[in-house]
Amino acid sequence: MKVKINNKEYEFQEELSILDAVKKAHIIIPTLCYSEKLKPFGSCRLCSVEIKGERTLKPACVTKISNGMEIYTHSEKVRKVRSTIMELIIASHGISCNLNCLTCSKSASCEIKVIAEEIGIMEVRVPPISSRVPEDRSSYSIVREPQKCIVCDRCVRKCAEVQSVNILTIANRGPDTYVTTFLDKGMGNVDCVNCGQCVIECPTGALHEVYQTDQVWNVISDNSKYVIVQTAPAVRVAIAEEFGAEPGRIVTKQLVTGLRLLGFDKVFDTNFSADLTIMEEASEFLERFKNGGKLPLFTSCSPGWIKFIEHNYPEFLDNLSTCKSPQQMFGAIAKTYYADKIGIPREDMIVVSIMPCTAKKYERVRPEMKGDVDYVLTTRELAKMFKLAGIDLLNLPSEEYDEPLGITTGAAAIFGATGGVMEAALRTAYEVITGKTLERLDFESVRGIEGIKEAVIEIDGLKLNVAVVNGLGNARKMLDMIKNGEKDYHFIEFMACPGGCIGGGGQPIPTTKEILSKRMKAIYEIDKSFEIRKSHENPAIQALYKEFLGEPLSEKSHELLHTTYIARS
Amino acid sequence: MEKIFLKSDLGKSFEDYEFSGLKNSLKMEQTQVIDKIKDSVLKGRGGAGFPAGIKWETAYHVEDDIKFVVCNADEGEPGTFKDRFLMENLPYKVIEGIVICGYAIGSKYGYIYIRGEYTQAIKIIRKTIQKMYERNILGNNILGTDFSFDIKLVRGAGAYVCGDETSLINSIEGERGMSRIKPPLPVFEGLYGKPTVVNNVETLSAAAEIMKYDYNPYLQLGTEKSKGTKLVSISGDVYKPGVYEVEFGKMTVKEIVNELAGGVKGSGLGFVIPGGISTEVLTENEWDVPYTYEDLFKIGTNIGSGGMIVVSKDRNYLEIIKNVSDFFRDETCGTCFPCREGNKNINKMVSEIYERGYPMKKEIEIISDIKNAVSLAARCGFGEASVNLILSILENFYAKKVK
Ligand SMILES: Cc1cc2nc3c(=O)[nH]c(=O)nc-3n(C[C@H](O)[C@H](O)[C@H](O)COP(=O)(O)O)c2cc1C
Ligand code: SF4
Ligand code: SF4
Ligand code: SF4
Ligand code: SF4
Ligand code: FES
Repeated sequence: MKVKINNKEYEFQEELSILDAVKKAHIIIPTLCYSEKLKPFGSCRLCSVEIKGERTLKPACVTKISNGMEIYTHSEKVRKVRSTIMELIIASHGISCNLNCLTCSKSASCEIKVIAEEIGIMEVRVPPISSRVPEDRSSYSIVREPQKCIVCDRCVRKCAEVQSVNILTIANRGPDTYVTTFLDKGMGNVDCVNCGQCVIECPTGALHEVYQTDQVWNVISDNSKYVIVQTAPAVRVAIAEEFGAEPGRIVTKQLVTGLRLLGFDKVFDTNFSADLTIMEEASEFLERFKNGGKLPLFTSCSPGWIKFIEHNYPEFLDNLSTCKSPQQMFGAIAKTYYADKIGIPREDMIVVSIMPCTAKKYERVRPEMKGDVDYVLTTRELAKMFKLAGIDLLNLPSEEYDEPLGITTGAAAIFGATGGVMEAALRTAYEVITGKTLERLDFESVRGIEGIKEAVIEIDGLKLNVAVVNGLGNARKMLDMIKNGEKDYHFIEFMACPGGCIGGGGQPIPTTKEILSKRMKAIYEIDKSFEIRKSHENPAIQALYKEFLGEPLSEKSHELLHTTYIARS
Repeated sequence: MEKIFLKSDLGKSFEDYEFSGLKNSLKMEQTQVIDKIKDSVLKGRGGAGFPAGIKWETAYHVEDDIKFVVCNADEGEPGTFKDRFLMENLPYKVIEGIVICGYAIGSKYGYIYIRGEYTQAIKIIRKTIQKMYERNILGNNILGTDFSFDIKLVRGAGAYVCGDETSLINSIEGERGMSRIKPPLPVFEGLYGKPTVVNNVETLSAAAEIMKYDYNPYLQLGTEKSKGTKLVSISGDVYKPGVYEVEFGKMTVKEIVNELAGGVKGSGLGFVIPGGISTEVLTENEWDVPYTYEDLFKIGTNIGSGGMIVVSKDRNYLEIIKNVSDFFRDETCGTCFPCREGNKNINKMVSEIYERGYPMKKEIEIISDIKNAVSLAARCGFGEASVNLILSILENFYAKKVK
């Protein structure tokens, strides 16, 4: 197919959209409602281009190229229209008076700002008109500020198309068109699973997490509190992006240094409790397997996934592992074993988590969790704190995590990517079942970014059918297949977010497919860099069992490390 | 003088109506019916003016076991009431047109989507459909042939945008009344993803009328580019508002207003809105223009839906602009930015202009830029045409006078 773009000839094999074709010609067209993972919607019209012979401009995101087409991406006509549309968007956004970019949650990643620059907008002649729709602060995880919403529908499509949760919708028409939840109930009062995928999709500051940075600043400076912090596996491979680094840069040791500089009394690692999770979960699996318990066993470390299954598939609750998530296991151990060990009264110990996740903010307040974790910050919130404290993260010297809750393995590191929990569990299960040493640690078949992966793992003649699922749309598919008897497995890992926690709702924005694979690559590099790559070989974990818990699934373990679920339908 | 063609069966009772258009069609090959409509160059009467024959031919050639005919009777355009006239006075001809189209394109299912407020028309059409089933002009093996066809009446959801064919299809499917991205055009993928012809009430009635004759009556009516007749609904400041049938090219707009509608009330003509509130106005210097697609187009306006509104000098034009702007602001489906935000912003400016009593040059300039963006880049026809009338009044009556 021959196409002329700005008077230059190009040849394309497939029937691409104009937007994709133009990208291949290294021309940038502004887009706002378009997103690589979603069905095109054609609402912002910023991508409009001129096509020879057509009376009106055509949106590049939804128009396909055809043979002989002559496209003008930046003609004067096009530029003028884009600039007018941009003026209208800015006016609707009410920036000049009541909204202020400097205080906006998305000041660093705002797409409107980028586009305004691409279009070269110099003046906004129309007065700002703001929506009067009130803020939604009903959720523990996410805040909606509709006056910043430009109704691009990306959050709506992300929640529906990728997550299949369908929480958000466009309501009304005319000037009252706005995005809302079912009957305006608010995100905290509907079946929202708090995954935050809508937040990372939103081009503006209309969606962001519920901030807890103020509270954390306060406890850090409160001398009567002993404040410890845990960092989730996916944070160390992503936070550097907030400081302008290439995606995939690993800053584990700078992260530790930075947290100490902020004033935390101890810097620990969620990877420690990830190893602990493996001990409990692998044992739980083997017990169910041997004694004819409920299978397939579903992993339970993703709180977005947990709330999803509670709302939508309560008939499967018995399949869920009873293990708490690593975040909550950490809190439970810190406030018992560790507090006693160092002689700090439990009520004076404050546990802060740094998570790639917005759902963990909700998990923290679940009554079953008994307040073991006090505050949850996202990767983005921590980056803000670093910036506020003048901490130049990328150039900090390296420091090590504190002991003992900072001693970890390669198995724990990979929890941050889809397939990681499964792989870590298999490494331990293999050795427990066979009593032999596992030679090849890498289970390649469960790695990678695909939404649903399956593998048959042979352990001493025993065939285990396992699957790995990420993204709730895929989770729904999988559960429906099991329901209809089309699939049968022994063990399935589920993660709410596409790509697993590296693509979590609290991660740096943007999170594209390309960025995801770079973060994933970094995760497996970290695994490789460890001498110990199996959870059961973690000496600190071995000590914990010896000194405190006894053995996996002991009474004490059950009391501290396991939980229950609620049918919410 | 009014030309009586489409109106020729007016006053006939259902019992006396012969359905000769349908009977003739059923005796012909499908392609012969299509060719006759094509030869007549019958243009869509819903506003866009797309040739009906070409639409039918395309639908005929799309291969699918299920196809639909949808009669667009949403008629939401203020000042347009010719479809209501047809449904209330010639309901059998409207339905006959739907059946003929169904036969021609190879469809077995028709819908008629009627504006919710038209309670009288809905009642009449419902009854007519029922009687047509009783007379075997609908249902299985119509009039003893192999052709079967069923029709369903759908009551409109009350939004103007639902008159847009893709929004209308969404609305029938029970979805939000919001336009769909084209392509695909409805003839390829319309209702429930199936090939669908959407035609206006008047278009389908005219098709039925054309099929009544052995020869092609349209070839003897109108001009080269505007064949046949058009129903014009006239309202506003005239002595005799109503629905009049006009042969293209035989009368000017001025003659239509003066001779058919009894002339302008009050102290003289302000302007004429020729085809509904999406079309640009005609001033006293312009209204002596022959009523054809091509002549109106030449001077920058449009036949549109045929809803002619006459405005006398005595009116406050700024109030009219404000009302029109209120309408467009409130009725956009709200999906695309230029239309939603553009009409919102224009409304704010127009309200200020109305309060102040005159516009500023800068305001006209901004409104003109917004019109440019909306008409070039909106997602559907609603947005494209939404600023035409407002800007044309401002340009014709204020632009030269203000600073
Ligand atoms: C906002 C909007 C409203 C419309 N309203 C109507 C209407 O009320 N009746 C109608 O027949 N066509 C209406 N149309 C045109 C239809 O989209 C479509 O072109 C028409 O029904 C096709 O039939 P025709 O070719 O017989 O005119 C509207 C279009 C737009 C964009
Ligand atoms: S989203 Fe925030 S940063 Fe972006 S333009 Fe709006 S107020 Fe400014
Ligand atoms: S947090 Fe997740 S479930 Fe809730 S609205 Fe956003 S995308 Fe949907
Ligand atoms: S909340 Fe954000 S993503 Fe959702 S429609 Fe508004 S601007 Fe778009
Ligand atoms: S032009 Fe207006 S009516 Fe049409 S899709 Fe856009 S907002 Fe909706
Ligand atoms: S990016 Fe194409 S219309 Fe918004």
